[in-house]
Amino acid sequence: MSQQVAQRYVGSPIKRSEDRRILMGAGTYVDDVKLPGMVHAAFLRSPFAHAAITSIDTSLAREAEGVLLVYTGEELEALLAPGPYGIGVIMGMEKPVFSCLATDKVRLVGDLVAIVVAESRYLAEDATELIEVGYDELPPIVTVEQAFDPSNPPIFEDLGSNILVQSEPRSYGDVEGAFSRADHVLRVTISQHRHQNVPMETRGCVASYDPATEHLLMWSANQGVHHHRSTIAGRLRMDPEKVRIRTADVGGSFGLKLGGSREDVAAAAASRALGLPVKYIEDRYENLTASGQAREESFDVEAAYTDDGDILGLKVKMVMDGGAYPGLAGALPSVIERMLPSAYKIAALEFQSTVIVTNKATYVAYRGPWAAETFVRERVIDLVAHELGREPFDVRMQNVVTRGEEPTVMITGRSLAGVTVRESLERLGELVDLPGFRREQEAAKAEGRYLGIGMASYIEAAPGPKMQGMPLGREEMRMELAEDGKLIVFTGQMPHGQSHETTIAQIAADEFGVAFEDVQVVFGDSDIVPPGFTGGSRSATMAGGAAIMTARALRAKVLETSSHLLEANVADMRIENGAVSVVGVPASAMSLADVASAVRQPGRLPEGVDGELKVENVYDGGSGGWSGGTHCAIVEVDHETGLVHIERYVVTEDCGELINPAVVDGQVRGGVAQGIGAVLLERSAYDDRGNYLTATFMDYLMPTTMDIPNIEITHLETVPLDPDVNFRGIGEGGMIVAPPTICNAIEDALAPFAVRIYQQHLPPAKLLELIGVIEPD
Amino acid sequence: MSDTVDILLTVNGTQRSANVEPRKTLADVLRDDLELTGTHVGCEHGVCGACTVLIDGEAARSCLTFAVQVRGSEIVTIEGLAEDGEMNPLQQAMRASHGFQCGFCTPGFLMQITALMNENPKPSEPEIREALSGNVCRCTGYQSIVAGVLRATGQSPISDSTHQE
Amino acid sequence: MLAGGQSLVPLLALRLASPSALIDLSGVPGLDYVRRENDHVAIGAMTRERAVERSEVVREFVPLLSVAMPLIGHLAIRNRGTVGGSAAHADPSAEIPAVALATDAEVVVRSSARGERTITSDDFFQGFFSTALEPDEALIELRFPVVRPGTGVAFEEATRRHGDFAMVGAAAVVRTESAHIVEARIAVIGVSDKPLRRREAEQALAGAEPTRGAFEEAATLAADSLTPPSDLHGSSTYRRHLVRVLVRRALESAVQHSQEGG
Repeated sequence: MSQQVAQRYVGSPIKRSEDRRILMGAGTYVDDVKLPGMVHAAFLRSPFAHAAITSIDTSLAREAEGVLLVYTGEELEALLAPGPYGIGVIMGMEKPVFSCLATDKVRLVGDLVAIVVAESRYLAEDATELIEVGYDELPPIVTVEQAFDPSNPPIFEDLGSNILVQSEPRSYGDVEGAFSRADHVLRVTISQHRHQNVPMETRGCVASYDPATEHLLMWSANQGVHHHRSTIAGRLRMDPEKVRIRTADVGGSFGLKLGGSREDVAAAAASRALGLPVKYIEDRYENLTASGQAREESFDVEAAYTDDGDILGLKVKMVMDGGAYPGLAGALPSVIERMLPSAYKIAALEFQSTVIVTNKATYVAYRGPWAAETFVRERVIDLVAHELGREPFDVRMQNVVTRGEEPTVMITGRSLAGVTVRESLERLGELVDLPGFRREQEAAKAEGRYLGIGMASYIEAAPGPKMQGMPLGREEMRMELAEDGKLIVFTGQMPHGQSHETTIAQIAADEFGVAFEDVQVVFGDSDIVPPGFTGGSRSATMAGGAAIMTARALRAKVLETSSHLLEANVADMRIENGAVSVVGVPASAMSLADVASAVRQPGRLPEGVDGELKVENVYDGGSGGWSGGTHCAIVEVDHETGLVHIERYVVTEDCGELINPAVVDGQVRGGVAQGIGAVLLERSAYDDRGNYLTATFMDYLMPTTMDIPNIEITHLETVPLDPDVNFRGIGEGGMIVAPPTICNAIEDALAPFAVRIYQQHLPPAKLLELIGVIEPD
Repeated sequence: MSDTVDILLTVNGTQRSANVEPRKTLADVLRDDLELTGTHVGCEHGVCGACTVLIDGEAARSCLTFAVQVRGSEIVTIEGLAEDGEMNPLQQAMRASHGFQCGFCTPGFLMQITALMNENPKPSEPEIREALSGNVCRCTGYQSIVAGVLRATGQSPISDSTHQE
Repeated sequence: MLAGGQSLVPLLALRLASPSALIDLSGVPGLDYVRRENDHVAIGAMTRERAVERSEVVREFVPLLSVAMPLIGHLAIRNRGTVGGSAAHADPSAEIPAVALATDAEVVVRSSARGERTITSDDFFQGFFSTALEPDEALIELRFPVVRPGTGVAFEEATRRHGDFAMVGAAAVVRTESAHIVEARIAVIGVSDKPLRRREAEQALAGAEPTRGAFEEAATLAADSLTPPSDLHGSSTYRRHLVRVLVRRALESAVQHSQEGG
């Protein structure tokens, strides 16, 4: 029976619990951790993209001041069990097999060659300069052509070539029919460029092996302590029960800090050998060069469409550059494939993909890893609109699905239940005066100024709709009533900016019946919290739902137990404001602290009544659902310099019921900022020898206050799909849809120059080349 | 390792001493020797601003300053903002505006904002954005930070740009 | 030698430079001043950029320097960075060397062995991070001529982001009299291994009427014969194009400034 619980917190922009310590400088990020006797690790990294290691001499480094330990790749590998690293732990990839540090060859600039542990990071770095390594350079594989060329040496022998995975073409719907019915076929190659997560906190760990107990404690910056533990325990051949991962505050991640890294394992092995805590904090140069990069994909697209503007079908061939030491890349194309039709009536799709291995940084998960599906599709819609001389907005409205009408399922099989993209477009049409803008655009053009408007729509699986017979997932949560009457929530979520400490507490407080201040959310300790992780825009539904269900279960248990203590009927009892009360009998209220204390007294409860006020629960995601919406940007392009100014940015979106509107808005704006950065500023650049060119913030340009406009956000009314849980995730949407939004706007601004945009990175020189003002060098 | 040097600095109003290599940055000395880990290191090459502190009242990147260079100077870090153990008005305003998410850039922003407010008690939004253009945040897209500064300086927030229907 | 450290320390942190000794000039007294002296403004080498930015003396008498200051990095950088450090570091994209060149400033250096000598900007900035400084010399003062009446100034930059090093920058100093340009000086950055004066363009403007056509012609002359570097942020062709655009804009702006009273 559900009680009418007053909704005091959910839906409000409650101030964050995290903020006190964060604003006072009292957070605990991994580099803040100091353990007695702690020493420091630095890594020698490869200067070459692809080379055999012919010799390595660490004797001078071992003698250097303050140095305690040096391992080469071979020395370290003898101490470890082979297996996956990083996100490979979650993806379950079997090939290629690689070592913790490079043994016989290096595979990217920045590859790990040796670890030095010394009394300070300064001294450890000094000592790395004393290690002498003989390299025989091999041809660097940095382009698609080089990866496909069978005469080039395979980067991984056990792969046999530099093709990691190649799928057969798969068809959905009547592809032949669609293309023969079409009046036109658009044939284009659309590509995304390499860029990267760049959290403000780099990766790092403090590994502390206690020889007396043979236990390893590791402080780490990560998105899930249990995955981290699996990697460390697995590689160190340790019983996971003897490995404890602790994580307090994490300075952002955006997908980067998933699973234990090779550096983490090396530091842990060093700690075990020394019996001392070993700290390794990646510096920014290392982070930009070698921690991982994302988004380098190219698509040959054929789009079949009619004179009327109906998009009938797509044929897509994709090549993804998985970098060296592949992790995520092999598994991603199928996600892109399934998402391509999105909320549109695209009735036919043919898709083929290839993932290559190259001598570049590993392809990692970066906020909406499959975002290419939105970039490609939303660019194609605009390109089709331009061919037909139609407003892109109108072509979208014509092709987007309508709730309650067919199709209700994407041709790739995913249900479109609850999707409100049409509604988001309509709302956008009310918020942005399109005809008015077109007049303004004309007037500006007459003055020699180029304004443009662009929009793009998307949906993201946050966590996605429930599929027949299959639960969406498994979110474990535990709640306990503490002795002082406070509610303690143990979650496997590992927030790194998502404010879960606040949002989970809001839900638990409302559902259980206590004040927000009386809820404590515990995360980040593999000895204490249930397994889980944060990522994939799942947590609002999964953790939010788990919080509701677990709090309900605990409330029921507390009321059941209290009914014995108060000798009342459970049906008449409530938990409100931190106390258990009986309806109509105010005098017989009991504070939760008193309840918690009473159940610990022997004999207080009748025999057979469970006095343990704790519940463990698994939530399966319920009906789940999509989040999605439409973004719109108005830009001005300076046609003399190619610099772009974003005048206005509007978001209409639907992420179901909002737990904390301020948190949601923050996530949206942060994602949009990364998308703007990707188009205008950020590129992970390599030269043709595989040298990495953007290893500092002087060259890898991050957007600043001057680059990101105020972003207007309208949340649409919820379409509930589930009786209990209609929170949906929102973490990745901004980053998925902002790039095509900006690119569409820029193309619109440059329409007078007949510009067509087929790539995502548009630095000023590129725009002038597209306009025709300058020739490419 | 070169010979270490004894230095005396005033940090958050208290005289502190340390014995450091001349090449050790102020950021590292604050964090390691003085155990003030509130100041964060985001890039070590002076671009991201996470390490910003006040040196003699002016905002400076502590990762680009050797500790030996600021002997005798007055340093203020994020730990020095609280008043009697409670958040100062700026910190409270940032909290009310949901200014930050992961918190890693926060110390640098708070110090830069403090310097801004000392010089310009009622900065306009463009002035705020200009003053903070040397601090990088990856989480927020900056709007919430700017809103927090407007709130902290007693000004109306950015015209309400969020709507719920 | 360590002045403000805003350019040098990143090089040390990245282990791109490993000097065996670092001499901190902040302990040297008497190098931090802004003084009007007769026909020039003397600025001590250790004067912080922020102090120059705020200086009324600089605003009135060396206006090009004043308008260039806010373009240098960010506030926190300018709080520590020094004008002498910037000049001695000689980054080809730095603003202060361009200002020195465009105003015909002089650089005063000193060594204990040979005493002081004064070097023209043309002679001082020699190449990629290299100046006329001998290994035993320190830069102690920059001398900027006081601006003449009827002079307008402008500094136009194209940067990827606010506060970044300019991909290309153009400084213009234009003196007008009865609606004609008497004299123009143009310096550009980001186009070579050092800042460059564009004397051919300057000569074309001497005596000219300040029309759009004159500016465009001068800008084209300024850009011609340049072979700017190509890098991540802009190709050579792009940079040359930017010179045309920015020199024109700087001239327009400087002339307007001069006609408003300078």
